[in-house]
Amino acid sequence: MSLPPFRNEPTLELRRSRDREALLGGLRELEPRLPLRVPVLIGGDAGGAEGIESTDPGNPARVVAVAGAAGERDVEQAVRRAAEAARRWGALPAAERAEILIRAAALLRERRLMLAALQVRECAKPWGEADADVCEAIDFLEYYAREAVALERGPELLQVPGERNAMRHVARGVVAVISPWNFPLAIPCGMTAAGLATGNAVVLKPAEQSPGCAGELVRALHEAGVPPDALALLPGLGDAGAALVRHTGVHAIAFTGSGAVGLEIIRAAAETPPGQRHVKRVVAEMGGKNCVIVDSDADLDEAVPAIVRSAFVYAGQKCSACARVLAHEALVDRLLERIEGAVATLRVGQADTFGTDVPPVIEEEAHDRVRRYAELAASEGRVAAGGGDVPDEGWFHAPTLATDLPPDSAVLRDEIFGPLVTVERVPSIDAACDTVEASPFALTGGLFSRSPDTVREVTARLPVGNLYVNRHITGAMVGRQPFGGNRLSGVGAKAGGPDYLLQFTEPRVVTENTMRHGLVVE
Amino acid sequence: MASDLQPAILEVGRALDAAYPSRTRNPLKAIDERAMALAATDQELKAALFRFVDVTPACRSLDDLARHLTGFLDELPERPPSLDMAVRMARSRTGRAALGAAAAAGVRHMAHRFIAGESPRAARGELRGLWSRGVAASVDLLGEATVSAAEADRYAARCAEALDELAEAAAASDLPAADANLSVKVSALTPLMRPDAPDLGREDAAGRLRPLLRRARELGAHLHIDMESLDSLETTLDLVLDLLGEEEFAGGPSAGLVLQAYLRDSPAELDRILAWARSCPRTPPLVVRLVKGAYWDHEVVEARQHGWSPPVFESKADCDRNFEALTRRLLDAAPLVRVAIASHNLRSVAHAIAYADGRELELQVLRGLGDELGQALATRGHRVRVYCPVGDLVAGMAYLVRRLLENTANDSFLGAQARGAPVEELLAAP
Ligand SMILES: Cc1cc2nc3c(=O)[nH]c(=O)nc-3n(C[C@H](O)[C@H](O)[C@H](O)COP(=O)(O)OP(=O)(O)OC[C@H]3O[C@@H](n4cnc5c(N)ncnc54)[C@H](O)[C@@H]3O)c2cc1C
Repeated sequence: MSLPPFRNEPTLELRRSRDREALLGGLRELEPRLPLRVPVLIGGDAGGAEGIESTDPGNPARVVAVAGAAGERDVEQAVRRAAEAARRWGALPAAERAEILIRAAALLRERRLMLAALQVRECAKPWGEADADVCEAIDFLEYYAREAVALERGPELLQVPGERNAMRHVARGVVAVISPWNFPLAIPCGMTAAGLATGNAVVLKPAEQSPGCAGELVRALHEAGVPPDALALLPGLGDAGAALVRHTGVHAIAFTGSGAVGLEIIRAAAETPPGQRHVKRVVAEMGGKNCVIVDSDADLDEAVPAIVRSAFVYAGQKCSACARVLAHEALVDRLLERIEGAVATLRVGQADTFGTDVPPVIEEEAHDRVRRYAELAASEGRVAAGGGDVPDEGWFHAPTLATDLPPDSAVLRDEIFGPLVTVERVPSIDAACDTVEASPFALTGGLFSRSPDTVREVTARLPVGNLYVNRHITGAMVGRQPFGGNRLSGVGAKAGGPDYLLQFTEPRVVTENTMRHGLVVE
Repeated sequence: MASDLQPAILEVGRALDAAYPSRTRNPLKAIDERAMALAATDQELKAALFRFVDVTPACRSLDDLARHLTGFLDELPERPPSLDMAVRMARSRTGRAALGAAAAAGVRHMAHRFIAGESPRAARGELRGLWSRGVAASVDLLGEATVSAAEADRYAARCAEALDELAEAAAASDLPAADANLSVKVSALTPLMRPDAPDLGREDAAGRLRPLLRRARELGAHLHIDMESLDSLETTLDLVLDLLGEEEFAGGPSAGLVLQAYLRDSPAELDRILAWARSCPRTPPLVVRLVKGAYWDHEVVEARQHGWSPPVFESKADCDRNFEALTRRLLDAAPLVRVAIASHNLRSVAHAIAYADGRELELQVLRGLGDELGQALATRGHRVRVYCPVGDLVAGMAYLVRRLLENTANDSFLGAQARGAPVEELLAAP
């Protein structure tokens, strides 16, 4: 089987009413199915499906999914069965596994309208974002399927007469995937697909806020032909994830989420209790405090909309979102005034309404956190925009713009993960780079400048994993912008990039002597 | 039909060609002869020069300006000798000041070919000049992108003032008020232009467009709504047809919209416009300005980036043929609508004139690009209107770069004319 080259799944063209209508149709199709039931699923056996509930952040009374809450016993059983399944699954040629993943991609494609609608309901992702998330999930399946086939061929090694050298990448065994709610389909799909494509069995523990999306993902993978044992679904709370990370039968952990949890996973994974015969590999994608630098020659007509979009799309709940703007003093006042005006035009509303810019944040706790930082910003500095009217019901927080903060303010330091952005005045682009370099985070960054020299210098200096020049800083595309952070933002693995799969394999080299009594066997 | 019409097209085209005012006949060469000639031959150099033009107003000093220029030139794999000298000059502070001053003057000079003045008042002399030669004008207020309600309000206020100013200027030149003609962009009238929610922008812009329509009616002036990229098409078309369909505007003002022939859906859009015109008869009838479309590269790149099929024709000949087909449909629909053909393409224009065969028709050109064609048309007794952008250099730069790019593009008509293609070739059927 030879696969056509990878290309990104086209998003819907939401500027056309026929595509908008189609999505609304997806919602009508989904609604009568709610709440979805998402049981613990091990080896195809459905366990309990009560324990946790996901609700619509825009209407918390609406239950979207009722899911099981996996416990220690479930973890134990899932890992044991995965270990057995991994041997058979890993022994298949990569092309056969690829075929199954591509079939799963086709199923997601068929169900894309319903899947987008599910994200609208379960995570309050606005339509355009939800549709892009489904496309990204499809991309991960298609991309890693191809990459795994390429990886199986192995690299070219130096060969000399009388010796045959070969290098292979083989599956590690059991991969634990612990995924967040903010890309409720794409991120679990990407990490799961990477594990499966390379021949590992996967145990997936999705965020408790979005079990419904994870359930649909697993359903599609099983229907496509992933053996039930090779992919288990453990909906549940943090303790289930922690138990999974600690389990001695887990070989690799793929995690995306907060810095605190990520570092805890890295610590726990470093333990090698008796009976564990391997070092666990951790792929951790953590938080950020992403800065956009605006040079004195920037085109504000482009910078202002791009900053506003980067900061507030999906209510700022993307790890790539813009949190700090560092603007050259020559234009900071004008920039601030224009961003302020632009923030005031943002539409706060339900995710199912086309045109909504800022949907509710995911849950009450997130809402409280954003409110606390907004209050802190008001007391330590100045809130230039914010506090507008928002709907009473649902976890809405008005988009907020803060400035004049003291350099040591927690508002400038902590990841807030909500609709709050700050603007700081810098005397030079060098000074802005100093600020970015001083941060423990290095996920995404942005630069607006029309000077080739400045672009070159800033590119050379900034440690961030993904730097965007003269554009918005969110929306990395599989195969085009391999995504992942450095420093405390992540371990440097690049999802959707050419070397990501290496994290899920272990390399083996075989050298064979092909000469006997001077006879070279070729 | 094309076969019957071809002799008439040739006749009209040759006559127009002969009526061009001087031997320049090629606005591109005149723009800034050397820079344009260089740019037209070398894509990388063109990109460097246009990026420089684009950033000029944002530079803080002549030194800053010179540094930007050399920054762009440094990126070129090869540099013509004349530009090598610029890079050498930029090594010293005084050299940079001189280079910066020369470059700034060059850009200003170029901008003034396209932009009639900083404000409608400042452009009055230019307008009077056109009017005295029997050429009409439409003024377009250049502005920065509108990102806030305050900016939309300011743009609307500028439009209102411009209408007053134009009406007064027309009166001072003893012209009918209808010669006060303003073109406006909907994206400047609302910060809520959302491709996925066209109603938001429509409702918000309506609040600012309605008073402008009333003002235009009071003054007897004409208000034209430009068309922008496809992302704003639904908002714009719905807005214009909704408002002009309102009872209070049934008797005026004179108003118009734009149809872009490069869009594959443009024939269906014309269906919609004509159906509307039939169902809401108004006096005076709607003006439809037919253009090819100014956002071709943008539409193609955006579609490619998203994996969509481009909404525009991808062959120039298809676009030109569609333009001619729409021209004929529009002329046949008169007097349900009034027809304005806006193009610098001698063939497209000659085709319209030949097909109209004496029926009412207005021809429109852009200042700085269509001046000679405009004069030739006026000389031959056709009704001509020159579209005159007005605004400061910062606001004008995006417009300027678009015009420069479009007209140095390989398959633009002006490009072929600049290369000295014979008139028979220029007049050949697409
Ligand atoms: C008075 C006036 C008002 C205008 N108002 C508007 C407006 O409101 N909105 C707007 O969008 N434009 C407007 N335009 C610009 C217009 O759309 C054209 O971009 C411009 O006039 C160049 O077209 P042309 O017929 O003069 O030249 P030509 O050289 O014959 O045509 C160039 C045009 O062809 C099209 N084209 C180029 N390459 C290709 C290709 N490979 N395949 C298919 N098509 C291609 C593009 O539209 C390009 O602009 C206006 C023009 C004038 C003169």
